[in-house]
Amino acid sequence: MSVSRRELLRAAALIPAAGALAACATPVQQTPATQAAGAKKALEVWIFDGGFGHQYATDIHQPLFKSKFPDVEVKHNFTKEITKVLQPRFAGGNPPDVIDNSGANAMDFGALAQDGQLLDLGPLLEMPSWDDESVKVKDTVDPAVINFGTFDGKFFVLGYVNYIFGVWYSQKAFTDNGWAAPKTWDDFIALCETIKKSGKMAPFTYAGKHPQYLYEILLTMAAKIGGNDVLVNIDNLEDGAWKAPAMLEAATRWAEVGAKYLMEGTAGLDHVQTQTAQNKYEVAMLPSGSWLENEQKSTTPPDFAYGMFPVPDVTGSDKLPYGTLHTQPGENFIVPAKAANTQGGVDYLRAMLSKKAAGDFSKMVATVSVVKGAGEGLELSPGVKSASAAVAAAGSNTVFYRWQSWYAQLKDEAIAATGQLMTGGVTPEKYLERIQAKAEEIKKDSSIKKFKR
Amino acid sequence: MRRRLFIFSFLVAPVTLYLVYVIAPYAQAFYIAMTNWRGVNAAPQFIGLENFGRLLGDGVFWKAVGHNALLLALLPVITIALALVFAYLLNVGGAGGRTGVWGSKFYRVLFFFPQVLAVTIVAVLFQQVFRPDDSGMLNAPLMALGLKPVGFLSNPSIALWSVMAVLIWQAVGFYVVLFSAGLASIPREMFEAAQIDGAGRMSMFFRVTLPLLRDTVQVAWVYLGIIAMDAFAIVWVMTDQHGGPDRSTTVMAAEIYRNAFQYFQFGYASALGVVMFFFVLGFAVLSLRLSRRERIEF
Amino acid sequence: MSRKHHLGPLNVLMHIALAVWALLIIVPLVWTFLASVKSEDEIFSDAWSLPATLRWDNFARAWEQAHIGQYMLNSVIVVFFGVLGTMLLGSMAAYVLARYPFRGNRAIYLLFVSGLAFPIYLALTPLFFVVQNMGTIPVIGPYIGLNTHAGLILVYIAYSMPFTVFFLAAFFRTLPTAVAEAALVDGASHTRIFFQIMLPMARPGIVSITIFNVLGQWNQYQKPLVLLQDRDKWVLTQGIADISTAAGYDQDWSALFAALTLAILPMLIVYTIFQRQIQSGLTAGALK
Repeated sequence: MSVSRRELLRAAALIPAAGALAACATPVQQTPATQAAGAKKALEVWIFDGGFGHQYATDIHQPLFKSKFPDVEVKHNFTKEITKVLQPRFAGGNPPDVIDNSGANAMDFGALAQDGQLLDLGPLLEMPSWDDESVKVKDTVDPAVINFGTFDGKFFVLGYVNYIFGVWYSQKAFTDNGWAAPKTWDDFIALCETIKKSGKMAPFTYAGKHPQYLYEILLTMAAKIGGNDVLVNIDNLEDGAWKAPAMLEAATRWAEVGAKYLMEGTAGLDHVQTQTAQNKYEVAMLPSGSWLENEQKSTTPPDFAYGMFPVPDVTGSDKLPYGTLHTQPGENFIVPAKAANTQGGVDYLRAMLSKKAAGDFSKMVATVSVVKGAGEGLELSPGVKSASAAVAAAGSNTVFYRWQSWYAQLKDEAIAATGQLMTGGVTPEKYLERIQAKAEEIKKDSSIKKFKR
Repeated sequence: MRRRLFIFSFLVAPVTLYLVYVIAPYAQAFYIAMTNWRGVNAAPQFIGLENFGRLLGDGVFWKAVGHNALLLALLPVITIALALVFAYLLNVGGAGGRTGVWGSKFYRVLFFFPQVLAVTIVAVLFQQVFRPDDSGMLNAPLMALGLKPVGFLSNPSIALWSVMAVLIWQAVGFYVVLFSAGLASIPREMFEAAQIDGAGRMSMFFRVTLPLLRDTVQVAWVYLGIIAMDAFAIVWVMTDQHGGPDRSTTVMAAEIYRNAFQYFQFGYASALGVVMFFFVLGFAVLSLRLSRRERIEF
Repeated sequence: MSRKHHLGPLNVLMHIALAVWALLIIVPLVWTFLASVKSEDEIFSDAWSLPATLRWDNFARAWEQAHIGQYMLNSVIVVFFGVLGTMLLGSMAAYVLARYPFRGNRAIYLLFVSGLAFPIYLALTPLFFVVQNMGTIPVIGPYIGLNTHAGLILVYIAYSMPFTVFFLAAFFRTLPTAVAEAALVDGASHTRIFFQIMLPMARPGIVSITIFNVLGQWNQYQKPLVLLQDRDKWVLTQGIADISTAAGYDQDWSALFAALTLAILPMLIVYTIFQRQIQSGLTAGALK
């Protein structure tokens, strides 16, 4: 990089001529120059550089893709600021070809879907799979992926990882102290009491700076108590959905935990800080997802042995049985509709869904992918083993919710309110009223596109 | 003719650059404020003043305006007061009122330090300072004394004050230097005359120093006012949930940013930005007007 | 009432106030430096404990993995040319607007000054398109489009105009006119008068605004984030923010503190070396 002062001044002097051209700051519809058929095409890939890093793409997916498409030049990129970096490119009409639209700074799927920016990946599902010409792609993946990635009847978003949510603990700490994973809420509270009295560590914590970790388990519990419809109604912005009796029950229970059993300082700590505290045996349990073990690998003691248990039975007459799990596809890959090389993008996703790619990925980042049977024969870490066992035990009793990816404003309100609930700033009733009010506001707002499930 | 050519040749480059890179984007933003643009499509739809109607009922935005108003009311006053006192001590606070106190050279260098740090760095640094457990710089000694840790950033009724403290922390040093410069230009005789009259250091400060620094204080007030009406970087990087917890620290700029880059409502965000533009402009015009009137009264 | 060199209660109070503020500045900085040589465990335990061993490898990680060296060099390049261009164009505009009445003078002046009230976030997306379009201009396009330092420099210059023009115009107005008028009578050109007479006279003002602009452009984050997408083009603030987010995922807090230290120290050293010039420059410029 060298710009001499003279060059700079010359450039400045030339600008008036160019000014007329550029003064209009409107987005230009650019016709991609790389459209020439048959020629060597480029494939621009952007990976969210988060808990899984971005190496899996360069080490696993891209070599596999190149093995079938050697002429395509893969341009690998990664960032933590997906929105900042890529939103202007969407608006400018030249988005990249494959995006892992994940993390805290991901782009709003609702906005992208509403504006027709996403390529319909329906045809991908009907294509022959990478490994076996006779099997369609859709038969190789967990059906929840299709359900979850569908907006208004079109399959837009490919979740690649199967996130499994629950309460995480150290099997070593539990064994050493004679504690057992609780099956009922009373057991859970009794366990919290025991741990608190033992003085060895705090019973419970969550990522206080990010209360979505807590409303996750609160909502899952509400679904367990009141049935799947609790979450469906919330997703569909039904009147009074947030104020359902099951929601009140769940909110009341967690407010009690907030008042009595939280680790000191929880409200001001983030996920890393609380998870690290757990690794140091300062706190016994926290709610999280199956990415946890990989995320913590650098601070976890070798004999820590992560374990996970599902939401306990609460009322004795819960609608869903013990073992009910919240599972949700994550690491969301999209192909922009206006990308230069959409076909290449689709093929890239197809390569990702091969058994080899998914298996190597699972091994590399210690997690469960959405490709059926990709984890077979792999040596699993304690946490993944525990989560996989929970999935097997849950069978078809899995729940999920989608409102937070549809309505970003509602998510922010729920985050703010949940933080208040856990620190005693609002009562459970007020808590639900508050989120309900926001849900109604969004329902009335004609500028926000609504989705149904 | 020569004069005209000269004027043109000196203005053409800066004005063109400014029009292309600054005015054109902002003109676009003013237009976007009247659309429902969601940031990703190429053709925003014109909806007139609808966004402006909507923001009137936006509780979070008005909460943010309130926080900016509080910052505007306190930040300049506290910063200027601290800076004035320090500048006074460092320049004429010493024995005899003619020199600075002992060590003033060292202090003057040190106090400017925070000014040379990037705001993002300051924000990240204070995030660590404010940690709510015994790994936090401030809470560790508190907890060692057996006190409960303070949720500097996690307690909604404290967080905004933490934000203000950081803003002041960073700003004071610059104004110490600014006011020192002002003090240096005050003729020594004025202090000596006041001293002969038997004025103590206190009364000298209020009777001599303050009135003579009027103009500089004025400039400081306008600058600090603009900082108080922005405060974006510290709030966005340092606070929980970017302006939380529970929106207790959010400011106008943070809401603009959130609506644009998180909710993808660029049209609405631009409307908020237009409102903020007029608030800042109004503040600047008002301060300059008020100062002018006062000067006439003198 | 005579004043002697004894330490009265007021005197003690003064010293306490100064010392407290000094501590408030020193302590967080020292604490950061200290954390930068601690291990991950030590950072998360007692905040005030001293590190058992000095872990300089934190710096090695911050330097290599986070490319702090590269980013710092980029920052230096961009800020150097950015400030140079800002001061040149800004002083030219300010001088003409301050000293040459003509029709439209006031309008141009106000156009520049109103830029002080714009929130930058609004301009980000349209600005992206402007820079993108600049990249399509024949010949020079590739040098000033997206992902170029020259493009970013032009943006910095443009966005530094409001403050620079506002301040320098006020400064030029206060300068005496006699010398320039005499030179004009002697047949010197306007351009020559500016560069050989007025600029040297305005030196204190130029110095102080240069410092403002160096600090301002050094601290830019939003604009480079949007306009520079290639990692090897990044400036320091982007690198720091990236490490800060990364610390949340990779748990490398010690490297974050090391990176912070690497970002802070050079500024402190440069400032300490030049503080005399800087402060006298500011002093001269701040006063009309």
